[in-house]
Amino acid sequence: MNRTIRITVNGVAREVEVPTYRTLLDCLRYDLGLTGSKEGCGVGVCGACTVLLDGRMVSSCIALAVFADGHEVTTVEGLAGDERLHPVQQAFMDCGGFQCGICTPGQVVAAKALLDTIENPTEAQIKEWMLGNLCRCTGYYKIVESIQAAAKAVEP
Amino acid sequence: MTHRIVGHTIGRLDGAGKVTGADRYSADVTLPGLIWGKALRSPLPHARIVGIDTSRAKALPGVLAVLTAADLPDILVGRRMFDMPLLARDRVRFIGEKVAVVAAVDPDVADEALAQIDVQYEDLPATIDLAKALDNGAPVVHENAGAYEGAPKERPHPNVQSVLRFKLGNVEAGFREADRIFEHTFRTQLAHQGYLEPHAGVVAIDADGRVQVWASNKMPHRLKELMSLALQLPQEKIRVNLTPIGGDFGGKGSLMDLPLAYHLSRVTGRPVKMVMRYAEELMAGNPRHPSLITMRTGVTNDGRIVARQVKSLFNSGAYAAFKPAPSVHLGGAGMGAGVYRMPNLLIESYCVYTHNIPCGHARSPGEPQMVFAGESHMDMIAKELGLDPTEFRRRNLLKDGDLLANGHHLEEVRAKETLEAALEASHWSTPKPGPWIGRGVAMTHRHIGVGFTNARVRLETTGNVTLVIALPDTGTGAHLTLRQVVAEVLGLAIDDVQIELATTDVFENDSGVGGSRVTHTGGRAAYHACEKLKELIAAETAKLGTPGASLAAIAQAAAREGRTLEASHFYDAKTHAAVTSFTAQVAEVAVDPATGQVSVRHFTTAHDVGTVINPIGHQGQIEGGLIQGLGYALMEELPTEDGRISTLNLGETKLPTIADIPPLTTVLVEDAVGPGPFRAKAIGEGSISAVAPAIANAVADACGVRILDLPITAEKVYFALRAKEQRAREQQS
Repeated sequence: MNRTIRITVNGVAREVEVPTYRTLLDCLRYDLGLTGSKEGCGVGVCGACTVLLDGRMVSSCIALAVFADGHEVTTVEGLAGDERLHPVQQAFMDCGGFQCGICTPGQVVAAKALLDTIENPTEAQIKEWMLGNLCRCTGYYKIVESIQAAAKAVEP
Repeated sequence: MTHRIVGHTIGRLDGAGKVTGADRYSADVTLPGLIWGKALRSPLPHARIVGIDTSRAKALPGVLAVLTAADLPDILVGRRMFDMPLLARDRVRFIGEKVAVVAAVDPDVADEALAQIDVQYEDLPATIDLAKALDNGAPVVHENAGAYEGAPKERPHPNVQSVLRFKLGNVEAGFREADRIFEHTFRTQLAHQGYLEPHAGVVAIDADGRVQVWASNKMPHRLKELMSLALQLPQEKIRVNLTPIGGDFGGKGSLMDLPLAYHLSRVTGRPVKMVMRYAEELMAGNPRHPSLITMRTGVTNDGRIVARQVKSLFNSGAYAAFKPAPSVHLGGAGMGAGVYRMPNLLIESYCVYTHNIPCGHARSPGEPQMVFAGESHMDMIAKELGLDPTEFRRRNLLKDGDLLANGHHLEEVRAKETLEAALEASHWSTPKPGPWIGRGVAMTHRHIGVGFTNARVRLETTGNVTLVIALPDTGTGAHLTLRQVVAEVLGLAIDDVQIELATTDVFENDSGVGGSRVTHTGGRAAYHACEKLKELIAAETAKLGTPGASLAAIAQAAAREGRTLEASHFYDAKTHAAVTSFTAQVAEVAVDPATGQVSVRHFTTAHDVGTVINPIGHQGQIEGGLIQGLGYALMEELPTEDGRISTLNLGETKLPTIADIPPLTTVLVEDAVGPGPFRAKAIGEGSISAVAPAIANAVADACGVRILDLPITAEKVYFALRAKEQRAREQQS
């Protein structure tokens, strides 16, 4: 069964017809062409598919697209401004918070959500918040460093 | 020597596409008319295929093709030894082996089609247990393995895939000199590389019959060769297009599903994408070999090693196809000697066929297994001799001129300096902060990779320089490192150097990424190409007659005459350098006496390095490898029951999270003696292998129990503690 859904993706209103079993991730990647969000584990564990649904983190590989009907979705493609990267993105580049980059879209989206929620997180708060975003390349040290640097950069 | 750009900390300038999601990985490639391929896999470890009925699957709307072995040429594939069919023919040999493949308009329809394929199997007895695989009468995995192309000649048992021997001196004579002889046996687990991007690929056939490939594969030219053999097409009919790779760690060098994607494309006339699900990665990727290793070492009473004999069995699973080395073995077998002088040594290593998942290369292939055994063995011997484990090591460490197991002699040995640096930084000699806390040390070394790389540098009319290479980006930051080399040699700013990735049409050959070689071979190729370009620029400047002319002006002058100033270099490191890189690591752990849980309180890692070209990338390799080693030590495992892996998702298969990382101290013992550009050494595989034995030795120090099999789970420590208490009670009564 197909349904037409209306979602605002990165500030742009979109209308798309999807089978009711379509995941939000597949809808973003294949119906809307936003391939920034990645599928890693496919079971909501690794965090590579993390997007924001009305500002809250969800694993889009286990969320159905129809659940996003009428809501706002922010993906990694929606973080940067016209000319500038989001401070989180800039910090990941400055500090080497990524290597292969496959988990990075999820990491930066999760880190943005963290800084939107807690302005100046402690190291323990960073680790607790980012627990659901696996990274196999960096050993995480530089991810912690990147988020700390980003927190400094967004300080008013 | 100070450099302008080399050695300076610069951010990952190459990563804008990664932090914005703009980079297109293989799974992101889309083409007009693209359809999806999916594979049906065997549910049995060893069975005869009696029949396959695909009629219902073919009738499903949206299904464009269903193929079985009967529809494909009778071809065997492999990286060095060719023993694996594209689809199982008559017989399946492991749970997860592909028996049929479908193409459909979308992945959901493809999944539905797989469910409609009916395969009749007749169960056959299977060889599952590594320890029993070489028994008389063990079910044979391949009746005539010696006949396969690339098969090693020596085959003492039908289930032996390959044998590798390392010999120094006379081991029997050596044992006769020994005052004491110690023997211990260790086991290591099946473990996935853990890259988060499953294998993915797209194959399309152009109107002129050209086969276009986009794949998560780190060796594009080798892939072209292997595809040519698998598809029975000339190499020039195949083009591999480079995409970023979402994590490699040794695992992204094989054909995987690409020949099947080709055949689906051939019969449907459409581009085909195949992306493995993570469960398929875990049941049929090409993970790290489990091992069973027995070490026997003879020592004198004053703690000098006089002889060592090692027998190792590596569980290679049902096919040898994923191993790339000409030996069809794991180079890590040679690490049975550790970082120690072995006057008399015999290592006999066997890669063994079983009815399990076929294993492949994983970051420092074979080394975490051997180093866990060897460095645990060293501490166990030291304890029996009443020697401090560091002192026992000091008495036996390699020195300049000593031989490695493979007969290579070593120069510029920094083993002792690296050990002392780790001990000092970890405050080894200070009292431990409390009970149930222990410290352990372990060491290893890693050779600097060999291979061959092409580089071309081109002066653009803007004055910028483009470096053309065929090395895909596996995430290490190698492209940025190579840009630094070019900028340094040519006196440019880093932003004035850009990378252009070559498809496999551009260079004749290239060994791609692997073996920690890219900084060495890619760096030297780029370096020498730049030297040649400098000469061209000098000649052009002289011709122009305006000293001090800008690079842009020089390039424009040449362009006006229809010329491009560019230079190429092919760098081939055929043999290992006489220098290596040493690692010494110290773990401080706490053991919970009630549960057996091990927590790492602090970790120290010391590395003997050459010139560090990119400090962030270098440190990133150390940290990433180290945390993979930590996972291998404490949690990572693919447990199997009757050949079936029982944890087929990343929720149950544990990988370290951000909450698992211990406070870390890194020490670099810098000495510019490497063979790389600016005398760099390798770092990519230096930090992973000694982590598990450092932790095992720390656990033994903390609570007196010795864990001989990885991973060191709370359960194992708990039962070892209870057994120890039981023994103590029995001794009292």
